[in-house]
Order: sequence, then C-alpha cells, then structure tokens
Amino acid sequence: MQTLKLLTAAGLIGLAAMGSGAIAQETMQIGVQVPTTGSEATYGQDMINAVQIAVDEINAEGGLLGQQVSLVTGDTACDPQQSVNAASRLVSANVVGVVGGYCSGATLPTLQIYGDANIPFIIAAANSTQLIPENPGNAFMINSTGADQAAKAVEFLSAQGAATLTIVNQGDAYSQDLATLASEDWTAAGNEVVSIETVNKGEQDYSAIVTKIRSTNPDAVFWTAYYADGGLLIRQLRQSGYQGIIAVGDGSNSPQLFDIAGQAAEGVFAFSNPTADFLPQAASFTETYQEDYGNAPGPYAPLAYDGMKLLGWAIAEAGSTDADAIIEVLRSADGQEWLAGPISFTDVNTLARSNFIVLKGEGGAWTRADE
Amino acid sequence: MTAFDVVMQQIVNGLVLGSFYALVALGYTMIFGVIKLLNFAHGDLYMVGGFVGFLVLSAISGITGGGWTGVAISMFLSMIAVGCLGVVIERVAYHPMLRAPRLSILITALAVSLVLQNTVLSITHGQYTAFGADFGFGGVNLGNVFITYNQMILVGIAAFLMIGLEVFVSRTQYGRAMRAVAIDKDMCQLMGINVSGVIAVTFLIGSALAAAAGTLAGAYYGSVWYFMGFLIGLKAFTAAVIGGIGSIPGAMLGGLILGFLEAFGTQLPGIGSEWKDVFSFAVLILVLVFKPTGLLGKSEQERM
Amino acid sequence: MTSNSNGAVPTHGLGPFLQDARLRWVVAIAILAFLVVAPMIFGSYITVILTNALLYVVLCLGLNIVVGYAGLLDLGYAAFFAVGAYTIGVLTIQFGFNFWVAFPFAVLAAVLAGVIIGGPTLRLRSDYLAIVTLGFGEIVRFSARNLEITGRASGISGIQDPSLFGWQIRTQTDYYYVFVVLAIIAVIASFRLANSRLGRAWLYVRHDEDAAEAMGINRVQVKLAAYVIGAIFGAVGGAFFAANLGAISPESFSFEQSVLVLMAVILGGMGKIPGVILGAFIIILGPELLRDLGEFRLLVFAVGLLLIMLFRPSGIWPGRRGA
Repeated sequence: MQTLKLLTAAGLIGLAAMGSGAIAQETMQIGVQVPTTGSEATYGQDMINAVQIAVDEINAEGGLLGQQVSLVTGDTACDPQQSVNAASRLVSANVVGVVGGYCSGATLPTLQIYGDANIPFIIAAANSTQLIPENPGNAFMINSTGADQAAKAVEFLSAQGAATLTIVNQGDAYSQDLATLASEDWTAAGNEVVSIETVNKGEQDYSAIVTKIRSTNPDAVFWTAYYADGGLLIRQLRQSGYQGIIAVGDGSNSPQLFDIAGQAAEGVFAFSNPTADFLPQAASFTETYQEDYGNAPGPYAPLAYDGMKLLGWAIAEAGSTDADAIIEVLRSADGQEWLAGPISFTDVNTLARSNFIVLKGEGGAWTRADE
Repeated sequence: MTAFDVVMQQIVNGLVLGSFYALVALGYTMIFGVIKLLNFAHGDLYMVGGFVGFLVLSAISGITGGGWTGVAISMFLSMIAVGCLGVVIERVAYHPMLRAPRLSILITALAVSLVLQNTVLSITHGQYTAFGADFGFGGVNLGNVFITYNQMILVGIAAFLMIGLEVFVSRTQYGRAMRAVAIDKDMCQLMGINVSGVIAVTFLIGSALAAAAGTLAGAYYGSVWYFMGFLIGLKAFTAAVIGGIGSIPGAMLGGLILGFLEAFGTQLPGIGSEWKDVFSFAVLILVLVFKPTGLLGKSEQERM
Repeated sequence: MTSNSNGAVPTHGLGPFLQDARLRWVVAIAILAFLVVAPMIFGSYITVILTNALLYVVLCLGLNIVVGYAGLLDLGYAAFFAVGAYTIGVLTIQFGFNFWVAFPFAVLAAVLAGVIIGGPTLRLRSDYLAIVTLGFGEIVRFSARNLEITGRASGISGIQDPSLFGWQIRTQTDYYYVFVVLAIIAVIASFRLANSRLGRAWLYVRHDEDAAEAMGINRVQVKLAAYVIGAIFGAVGGAFFAANLGAISPESFSFEQSVLVLMAVILGGMGKIPGVILGAFIIILGPELLRDLGEFRLLVFAVGLLLIMLFRPSGIWPGRRGA
C-alpha cells in the first residue's frame, strides 16, 4: 500500500512538473532543438553555444520587442522519438520560434508538430531533401542542400585535374546524400567514381579503407561527413603515403579538423559556406566563441548563430510574436548579409543560393583556395 | 600495389585493429569468467582510460615529450587509475548485486556505462580532444607493404600485455584462484579462497587492460572522445564471444579474427565497407551455429 | 533469475494488496479512467510523452514474453520493431498499399523474423544468445541503412495517416488513443498467454529445460513461439510508430533502443506485467522529467537507475511466484 501511494504521488507530481513548463514569463522564449546527449552531442553543443552567443548579443542590444530573450533546449539525442518529445515540450513551453535541427532523420517528424502549432522553425543544419515535401510552410532551411555542394565539388576537383575519385561517407543521411549526389555529378561529368566507401561513426581505425584506396589509387578522395572522423581518416591516409588530392565537405570545415588531423590536414581542400575568417563579422564571432567556450566553433556554429539572428530580425520586423507575421517576414527575406552569407528563400523555403567557396588547409588554418 | 601487397597490408591492418579488440575483449572475458557478468561498462573504461592517458600526457609531455616514453608512462598511470576505478565500480555497483538475478546486474552494468559516458560528456561538453602524442609517420617498407614503427610498437605492447596476463593466470597463485572462482565460486569460498579479493583483482586487471588499449588508441589515432568506448565495447564483446566467452586465449583469438574479418570485408568486392559489419556478424552467427560455445569455449550447463 | 523464487510472499508492499482481486480491478479501472481523460487535462506535450510510454508498454510486454516468460536474453529487440515499421513504410510508400492492407504483411514479416532469429539460436546459452540477437539487430539496421528500398540512411518519409472505419487518425491525441488501445490489447494478451498452456510450458522450460523436455514439452517449438509472439508485439508497435511519426530512419532502431526496452523490462520486474508497464513508464518519463538538466539529464537518469537496481535488485515490482 505504501509503495503504491508513493508511486502514484511521484507519478502525479512528475506529470504536473512536466506540464508546468508553460508558466508565463517576462522573457521571450526561443526553442533550440539539437542533440545534447548521445553520440551527436558534440555538434548539438556547438550549435547551442552559437545560438547562446546570438542571444547574448540580442539581449545586450535591448532584446526583442522590449523583452529579453531566453532559450529553452529540446534535446533530440538524434533520435526521431525523442525529438518528437522535445518538439512537443518546446511547443508547450510557448516558444515564439525554434532554431536548430541537426539530424535530418530526427528533424523530419517534428515538422508536423511545429506546423500544427504554427511556430516558425529555422532549420540551421539539417538539409536532407526529404524535409522539403514534409514542410507545412512554417519551416525555413538556411543550410544549402547537398546538390549545390556536390556541383561545386565536382567543378573544383575536375579543374584540379582529377579524373578518378573515391568518396567516403559516414552512413548518416547527410553524408550519404552528399556522397550519392557527388557520385552522380562526377559520373555525369565524364569522370570515374572508383568506389563509395562507408565508415561507422567513432570507428577510429580506417586502415582497411585506406589500404583499399591505396590499392586503387584514385586522383582524389572526397570525405562527405564531419570533421572528427574526417580528421582521423585524413591522418591515416597521409600516414599510409597517399599522395592524391583530399577534399572534405562543409561538415568538416571546422578549425578543429587541424587539431585532430595535425600535419596531415595541410593541403586538404574544404567546400564551405563563407565562414570563419572570410567575413569581417565572422572573425569577431570566432573570437567570442573561443573566449566563451574554449574551443573553435564547429561546422554548424555560424549557421546556428545566423538562425537565431534571422529569427530575431524577423520578430523585430514583424513587430509582434504573431507566427503568421513572422513567417511572412521570413519568406520575404531579401538576401541580407549574415555570418554565413546572404539569406533569401525559394518558394519551398529552402536557401535560394549556392555560394560555396573552396578552402585549403595551410599552416594549421583555412585559407581561400579559389581566389 | 599488387594483389599480394594488398593482402599483406590488410593482414597488418587486421593485426593492429585486432590487437585493440583483443585487449578490450580480454577484460570482458575475465570478468565474465569470474562473475558471469557481461560488463557493458567495459568499453567506457577504455574511453576513460583514453582520457586519463591524455591528462597524464598533457601534464608530463613538457618533460618527456609526446613520444613513446611519454605515452608509455601515461599508459601505465592510466592503467593504475582505471584499474582502481574498475575495482570501485565492482564494489559499489556489482558486488551488492552478485546474488541478484543475472539480468539485473546486466542492467546495472548498462547504467554504469551511461554514467561514465555522460560524466565525460558533461566535463568535455562533447568535444573531441586532440591527444597531443607526437610520433611521426616513420616506418619500414617491405616491398609495397608499409608498416609504421608505431604499429610495431603497438602490437608489441599488446602482445606483451597478453602474454603477461597468460603467465599471471596460469602460473601465479592469484591466477589459479581466479580460475577456481570461475569454475565454482561457492566451493572456493568453502576452501578458504578470498573470493571477493579474487573478483577485485580480476576487475583491476581487466579494467587496466582496457585503459591500456584506450591510451594507446588515443595516442595512435590522435584523439579521444566521450563516445569512443561504445563501438569498441560492442566489437570486443563480439570478439570475446567468437573466441568463446570466459576463455582468455579465446578472447585474443576472437579479437584477431574480428580484426581480420573487418579488414578483408572492407577490401572484398561484393562486401565492401558498407556491408563489412553485416559480414562480421554473419560470420559470428555461423560460428555459433556450428560451435555454440565459440571457438575455444567450453560447454557448460546453465540455468537462468 | 531464481532469487525471488520459492513462492515467498512479501509481508509488505504491493504484493498482498494486489492479490485482493477486487482491489486489483479498482486499480485497473482507475488507471484506465486516468488514461482516457489524460489528454484533456494535461495538454499536448504530456499526451505525446504518454503516447511514447504506451508504445513502450507494447514493446516491453513483447520483449517480456521472450525474456521474462521464456527466459531468452534478447539484445536485438529493435530489429522486430524495425521490421514492423519498415514493412509499413516500404509497402505504403514504394508499393502504394493502404496501411491496413500493409499491416498483415508487417505481422507476417515479424513472424518470419522471429523464426529466422529464433531458429539457429535455440541451442545457445543465454550469453551467446545475447550476442546473436545483438548481431541480428545490427544486421537489420545496417541493411535498412544500405538498401535502396528502405531509403538508405535518410529512411522513408511521407507515410500516410491511416483511417479506421471512417475515423481519420491524425492528431497526437488520435494516436494517443490508438496506443491506449494497443497497450490494453498487449496487456490482455500477455495475461492470457501467461496463464495458457504455452505460458506454463515457458515457465517450465525456463526453470528446468531438461525436465520440461522429459515431460514431453517440445523445447524448440516453445522457445520459437516466444520469439514469434514477441516479434509480433514489436512489429505491431513498429507499424503504428511509423504511421504516427510519418517518417522512419535507421536511427530509431539502434542498439540503444533495444537496450532501453530491455532496461524497462528488467527494471520494472521481469515476467511481471504490472512491473513491466511501470518500467516502460519510468524509462520514458524519467529522461523527460529531467529535460531541464540539459546535457546532465542522462547522467542523473543513469544514477537513478543504478540506485533503483541496488535497492530493488529483482526489479521494482514485488515478486510473488518464482519469476
């Protein structure tokens, strides 16, 4: 009897506590939907840090509509079920808008939830083309889809004189998608794809793939996933004596690639939005980030920062927290310059431009390679 | 590279990878041997070992440099620290559960794994940490097959630790006690063997081996990360079972076999890197269908 | 798994209380009434969480048949869940089937999966069984990730909401009630199975395989039945999971998912239906309650789990007969 009473009481208190997320507050609540636990927490933390920097700046300038902005985090753990929970939690906390979306698979089922609740959702990183038909109209994708990047990669690598290519991805939606697109474009351009390889995240040892690459000796290797495993692959490729071109996608454009790959990252090419040191305002962002968090910003930090700033701008422009008004403003974004470049949207709310640039690793940092 | 060179190079790759798997699998198998627990936190001890090794190396690299001397000292200290951590975990989390249903202790192990992982996640904020070892890429060319000095040292250390363990288990009194406890705990108690002590020593050694592997992996691959123990934990578990769980030579054999399966699975047309894990698991299942106790395991009656 | 055995009746706690049949009914009806009105009181977030918890009730009761009833350790239960979800996804999206037409195929696929996984593994000891089931789980996930027909890593999206006798299931609340019904069916089925001939055979095989065989129980058939029935539970959960989310991807069917379901089963009290239900709710609600802790939430949750197991090593629900 005792046990039952205790259990019931605990359960009811728990439910009540969970339901009370929506207490009216003086601050304006913005949701951040990213993984902060599980194997993808690295990138989720990075995005939250960047959003926090944006919020600090907004608040320092007097907040939005006279209110200070505060963040509510929704941890998705990169799992579709958990992300649905997180999204519902954000909705019930009465957030004005949501920034985030890292794993495409975990972002997909949240679209309907924000759609039903009519909450503006800025998708900062997830860029699978599958998101487009599921978008009820309130979500805006500020990361270019893989198609643009694949095109840039093929154009650049061909110009470097490469004819044979091995593509390595990490078996997740983002990097697999980019690998497939790059492979199609590469073949269409009359070149040869030697093989497409898949590694598991966190595998550490890529020597078997490295040997396979050495045995077929392609002119170039294209890594389509993130910097952490990419750094290890690059290291092992160079250690084995591979001399060809190594290129990486925008998931690897972080300066942290140099920490992990060390010397081996010299001469590596990266396709990227114009970030980090290539825009004047980005330099100060990188500096602030480094000061606040003790490491360099990751690949999606600038986009997450932009997402928050863009949402703030739209709320200010709309002059209210009314979702329809905010969405209307976002839709009419006119190519204003942000940290990662200008933003305006197509009629399916995807980023209307491709301005990938090419970076090259030199002296432990990225420099422009296409100017 | 000729086909022969590729085969030789993949053998080298499999050997290095297999050495890591074997070191971690040994701990799995030893702990299983004495308390019949699948210690799912074992991979995370490997991860913690990597981080402790990193901390030690950062502290001493000013004196020793980032070369093998520094790494060896870091590895040694990491083994001691994580070995003690293993004993503490056993005392706090597993010991009170020894008389509980066997699956309950499995859940405890999973909870310990989550605790370790998320503690390090909170401390590091999920960041990858560059290890700071500095080896250079030097090595020997045998025809077209390239073997780095690091790989040789690595496999050498792994072999040294495994032989040391084998000697310890087969020649010393503690080793004998350990084998006796694995066979019949209650009888050992009656015979006056300090069963708790034997279990503690087993955890000490098993965890220390995982820490050695973790530090070596951090130094060799160049970075450590809070989630790095997950995959290798699964792989080591697989290796231990292929070899026959509870069997020490079996864990070594299983580790090497799994290393080779992955290396050659990646290379073989029709399998490739995308399907290599499916290939390894399929082989594992086939092995167990034909030899239900693993390659070197002994058959044993059990009641759940 | 026999520490609680010998029919020792605890002198306090829930055991004797719930043995009173009338009180048991009162509690059951109270819980049911709570479930029916919950969405009206608590709002959408809690409804979503409870939906999730109810899905877990179905999955956990399914795994309970394999682990709790038949005593077979399964570390790859997510595979069955995946089979159900992907059968619906592939048949409705790639082949244009209606959900209800695809549904029997999902069940059929689960039966097949149960036989495939159960077949070769029945001779194995539990620890080996653990790795084989884990291996099967990973094979299923890797296949979903690699095959074109399952949408590779991106998975399948745009799965239509089904309608039932003219009722279009669409909103979160609709799905909540669907899962309430599924959970009730799962509970009733579990009770009936436990008290059936098959249930007694499982009990027998679990306690003493050789003796059971000597008594004329077909060990292989009985164990296979556990896998198949457990698989059906998982696949039914997976089918409605796919319809509810509208999109599925390999991330949902990872080893962690299998581990969480197993944790819930053992945490609550293996083999005990109320315990398993409780376990499912704890595993789902726990991390949700801790959401405000951000990156610390899993850490605190894991410490909580550890404490529960240390204080109640046989699971939270008190045991009655040897389970």
